[in-house]
Formats: sequence, structure tokens, C-alpha cells
Amino acid sequence: MKHLRTLIALSALVVLQTGAMAQCRAFAKHNCIPNLLPYKFNETFNAAQLANGEEAEVDLTFYSGQEYRLMVCAQSILGNVNWKLTDATGQTLFESKAEDPKDHFDFKVSNTQQLKVFIDVPAKAGGGNEMLHVGCVGILVGFKE
Amino acid sequence: MRTSGWTLGLLALFMAACGGDQPQQNTLQADPTADSTQAARVRKTKNIFHNIPSPMETAALLKKAGAEYDKDILNDPNNRTKYTSASKQALNLGIYGADLSYASVFNNTQESMLFTAAAQSLAKQLNVSNAFGQETVDRMEKNRNDRDSLLNIISETYWSVDAYLKENGRDNVSALMIAGGWVEGLYIATQVCQNHDTPELRQRIAEQQMPLGQLLELLSTYSSDDPAVSGVRLDLEAIAKLFAAAPAAAASTVSTDNGVTVIGGGAPAPTVSDDQLKALTGKTNDIRNGYIN
Repeated sequence: MKHLRTLIALSALVVLQTGAMAQCRAFAKHNCIPNLLPYKFNETFNAAQLANGEEAEVDLTFYSGQEYRLMVCAQSILGNVNWKLTDATGQTLFESKAEDPKDHFDFKVSNTQQLKVFIDVPAKAGGGNEMLHVGCVGILVGFKE
Repeated sequence: MRTSGWTLGLLALFMAACGGDQPQQNTLQADPTADSTQAARVRKTKNIFHNIPSPMETAALLKKAGAEYDKDILNDPNNRTKYTSASKQALNLGIYGADLSYASVFNNTQESMLFTAAAQSLAKQLNVSNAFGQETVDRMEKNRNDRDSLLNIISETYWSVDAYLKENGRDNVSALMIAGGWVEGLYIATQVCQNHDTPELRQRIAEQQMPLGQLLELLSTYSSDDPAVSGVRLDLEAIAKLFAAAPAAAASTVSTDNGVTVIGGGAPAPTVSDDQLKALTGKTNDIRNGYIN
């Protein structure tokens, strides 16, 4: 009986995780990728279910000679997120604050560089006793051929 | 009491499933800056992604660098029947994906459809038909003369396969596919460079050191418990050793040029010497041949 419950619980976990990630893919596909136009989506799936108070980061290689659109796309349940782009020395090159949100940054690099994107989903005000909100956050890159 | 414990257990599992402590995408690491007090106050978890440029972007860069199309260097679509293990299928799904991108960016529709069929066959064997099924092939066939539409469908399909694998907890298969695609991209670049050796192409080859670092980090999150991933990681480490040491990080500048934000500075453009190019060409060829045969 105990084994059966464990099996059912694990199955529930898999189903829930798969469902949540599939939802994230659908969100990115319908709500984020279309906004990359006229840039071509670079095909890389950087999306995760995040909760208020969580952070994410990704290193991205940007090549000289290309124009890029960097986009951070979050489900509204999370509220506006803070995100910034920094160089290899940690210097901030672009920043979007939750109080003045921007969903994308268009730019090009003169030399090929690896830059880092930090995302911070602000914690809900009022302490930790509120219901945990979880939503999808996508980091997408488009380029011009 | 037992029922309530069972309910709590399911609730805990539900919370974990909704983005808590389970690995998301490629890896999940605790934020080293978050102390225990913070952790008690808010769950401060940092999600680290590893981003590898797609085969499509690599192919577009090669074209811009003046590379030409050479179908003879690509993996024979008929080889697909040789790949019976899941690891070989995943690696070659990435390889055929890169070949498909290369053929499509250079507008070779006939070969694009052959690589599509080969990749779709491997996707089927890997049970990712939900993301890359016959309807995708039909859409590509319908749009075979519209290059932009074809490239968009290829991009969407690559992304869907990657996402589908991750959604289903098969991140290691996704990692092998990405590694196969990256190796094929470097293989194509080094092969093309043999007949079309330009500073631009050498620069693009040298720049592959950056995504290679990311790819190695990605593979290191799986290699201890997956022999196939571990083997690929060793292969890529051998390639990494052939690149020159990465130049020291330098601060960037931000300016505007004709309304476009330009991030300048950073490290100077890298290149590869004749000896490095020869070594990279040979090693990449050996490793790639091991994957396709």
C-alpha cells in the first residue's frame, strides 16, 4: 500500500511538472516569440517556472555583425520583474526595473562577447505568509540574419 | 491522520512541482549569497541556464563570413538507420538539425527535405514525435520554396524538440542533441575553412570557444550519472584544449550608432593560428566521425 502511494505521488509529481513546463512552452510560444519580430528567434528554450523571490541568470554569446533583440517575458501573476544585462566584468549595460518595466532591449556588439542576464522576481510585500505565486519567465533572443 | 499526512505529502509534491526545488530546464543551483535567514524569509533560489547558440545562428554567421555550401561534407541522410542507441540518435538528431540549418540558410531546398526526413526519423525513435511529427514535415514541404517560412519552421521545430525533452525530464537527451549540433557546426566551419580560409571565418571558429564553455558547463551537470554524456564531455574537453586561452575580460561601453545601441569594448576579436586551425580541424573531424558512424 505504501509503495502504491509513493508511486501515485511520484506520478502526480511528473504529471504536474510536465504540465507546468508545457504551459511554460505554450506561454513562451504565444506571448513571447511573436514579439521578437522582426528579429529571428534563435531557437533556444530558456524558460522556467519561477516564484516571487526567485532569481535566474543566463550567459549568452552575442556575435559581432549581428543585431539582437533580448527579451524577458513573464506571466502577469508574478508582477513586473527586474532584469539587467551585464558584461564579463559585472558592469550593468542595460537594466529594467519592476517600477518602469521594459520587455526588450535591441542592440549590437562591436566585438563578440559573452554577456549575462540576471532576472529577479520581486518578493511579494507583506512577508512570507502569503500564497506562493508561480509563473513562467522566458529569456529569449532574436537576431537579424 | 493518515489521510491528512497523505494530503500534506501530495501538497508538498504539488508545491515542488510548481517550480520549487526541482531542477528547472538545465540545472538549478542554490544561490551562494543567500544566507539561512533569507532562506527562511523568502525562498531565494537561483536558476542557472546554459545557453548554446542554435545551429541556425551558427549557419547564418558562416554565411555572413563568406562561407560556401558544400553538401559533400554533411552527414548522409541514409546513415539514420545505423543509429540504434538513444545516445547516437540524440547526437545525430543534433547533427542532422545542424545540417538542415546549413542547407536551408544556403537555400538548398532539396537537401533540406532529405535532412528533415532523417531528423524526423530519429525524433520518432526518440519518442519526440509530439514536437517533430509528420505534420511538421508536411508544413515544410508546403513551404519549401519560401525560404523565410522554412527557416521559421525549422527554428520552431528545434525549439519545440528541446523544450519537449526538457518538459519530460529528458534533459540529458536534449544536452546530447545540443552537443551534436554544436560539434557539427564547428565541423562544417573547419571543413569550409579548408577551401575558403578567411580572417572572418577564422574569427567565427575562434569565437566558438565561448559557447563551448557553456556547453561543457551544461554537460557537467549530467556527466556523473550518464556515460554517454560523460563521453561527449571528454570529447569536448579535448577540443577546448586546442583553443587559445581566453583573453582577459574587459569593461564594455554603450553608445548609439544610427539609432542602434552598440555595446563596444570587451575582449578583442579572437582568431586561430594555422597550427590551432589544423589541430581543431583534425580533432573535430575525428570526434564527429565517431558520432556519425
